[in-house]
Amino acid sequence: MSNADRSESLVSRLTDRDTLYRLGLYLVMYGLAAVFFIPYVRMFELSVTPLSVMSDGGFFWIPPETTFAVWERFLFREPIIYRWAWNTLLIASITTFIVLVVDSMIAFSITRLEWPGQSLVLGIIMASFMIPGYVNIIPLYTVINDLGLLNSYWAIILPFAAGPLGVFLLVQFFRDIPEELEEAARLDGFSQFRIYAQIILPLSTPILTALGLFVFIWSWNQFLWPLIVLNNDQLYTLPIGVVILRDVNALAPNLIMTSLAIASLPLFIVFLLFQDKLISSVQMQAGTG
Amino acid sequence: MDTNTLTSSQTSTRWERMFERSTRETIMGLVFAIPYLVLFAAFLLFPLLKGLYMSLFEWNFLNPSESTFIGLDNYARLVNDPAFWNALWNTLEFVALTVPLIVVVSLVLALGLNKELKGSRLLQFVYFSPYVLTVSVVAIVWSQMFAQSGIGTHFLGWLFEGSPLNSKFWAMPAIVITTVWWQAGFYFAVLLAARQNVPERLYEAARLDGAGPWRMFRDITLPHMKNALLFVVIASTIFQFQVFGQPFLMTDGGPVGETETLVVYLYELGFRARELGFGAAVGYTLLAILVGVSILNYVLVGTNNE
Repeated sequence: MSNADRSESLVSRLTDRDTLYRLGLYLVMYGLAAVFFIPYVRMFELSVTPLSVMSDGGFFWIPPETTFAVWERFLFREPIIYRWAWNTLLIASITTFIVLVVDSMIAFSITRLEWPGQSLVLGIIMASFMIPGYVNIIPLYTVINDLGLLNSYWAIILPFAAGPLGVFLLVQFFRDIPEELEEAARLDGFSQFRIYAQIILPLSTPILTALGLFVFIWSWNQFLWPLIVLNNDQLYTLPIGVVILRDVNALAPNLIMTSLAIASLPLFIVFLLFQDKLISSVQMQAGTG
Repeated sequence: MDTNTLTSSQTSTRWERMFERSTRETIMGLVFAIPYLVLFAAFLLFPLLKGLYMSLFEWNFLNPSESTFIGLDNYARLVNDPAFWNALWNTLEFVALTVPLIVVVSLVLALGLNKELKGSRLLQFVYFSPYVLTVSVVAIVWSQMFAQSGIGTHFLGWLFEGSPLNSKFWAMPAIVITTVWWQAGFYFAVLLAARQNVPERLYEAARLDGAGPWRMFRDITLPHMKNALLFVVIASTIFQFQVFGQPFLMTDGGPVGETETLVVYLYELGFRARELGFGAAVGYTLLAILVGVSILNYVLVGTNNE
């Protein structure tokens, strides 16, 4: 056997194994995706299954009858979910706006300006990073109560905006922006405010987008804290509202599942639009954290 | 600028000018820092200190001035409360089951998707998407799947009678599966990035040396992904310790307290029983445990880096 022949048979043996391997890989990855997808399928199926079918209590893969009556009811006739979506949107948007503004301001102050005590302040903020939010809920509740903020959007917005994650990420990012850019601007007579607004902020668009997306999603999805401070169904957020609907309609899975599907749609759309941004934001967080 | 400042700056010494400049900078610095510092002080630092203070009292919610100082009695009561030990044990059980599963699932997803596959964008979407759902949606959908006529119960029904959520043994695993489905996508994204950063030429070199897939995984992939894997372990441990929504909504801590975790216990004390002083002590204990976990992790990471 010549040398060329031997290497050829090796190549074909390798590709054979490779094809099998790739086939297996496709099976595993698409199989896992199918398993991951089941809850969505069930959510949708049950949302269009009439109660008469459900009450038989049996299991079915595909509902024998379907109706969009509950979807129609929530979308057009009983728009309480719109009200909750609006509350959630308002809270998440205001929180995101406040976090981006105040966190970038203090990060600018700490990395670009010098004042006595700043390293101590930064140290305290960083140390608080270790403190998980939930341990604070009881004293925080009494503080919110004393300020008369129970049952208001601010009860949710302000404590969230006090979190240190944004400061942490932005301080790290601002530190790496070269000083030369602003030295030139300073010689041109730029004020500190213009340096912040016209040089640092535009240079930080990627990290600000990443932070903004995450604050928006986390704030939108908050559960425990809104459950504690909101006590009025006109003020509920979506995550709380769907629980109330479940408790009231325990025997109507189609109604529960429809409300869940509608409640999940907004962030699903956000995710569809920003898939790459969101995934790279996760990776950015892990890089600094 | 008027003549007055001009003359004064002409006559002032260099040190005075510097002082003036640094005072201005200090004022600007504070102006930029204060909005966040006010939020931080009012809604994070102050509650934290107040919690410590409250934990020393039998706190009267309606009339705080009538609270009675009891020293460390709340902590003593905690140590003697079987419900606390039960909640701590359940939380540890939950973390010990969830974290390894999350690591394995997210690693498999990341390594698989690193190969060039048709439709990998779609796959990525499916794996990551549960992470953008709120916990109440996740918990209610899975409660339905584990209900009497649900799909999970249909397929796994031979393991338990009725719904796993009513089974003392299977309720916790059901909550764990729910959590892995919800969270794995996030850590998958982290690990995918880490895998893509491993230089491809290392694998080529190893292939020339005749290394098999297992050896390449052990000697190239794992060491290069070590930091990302540690991040996944630490971040998910700390996060899962604070589990609340899944047990609260799927089992309400039951059956007979089998899934009552520390934060569920904390919530019940503070907002159902209104035992605010005692609840604050539980909060502080949780804090101590979590800081301990962080330090332990930090030590382990530190020695691993040597």
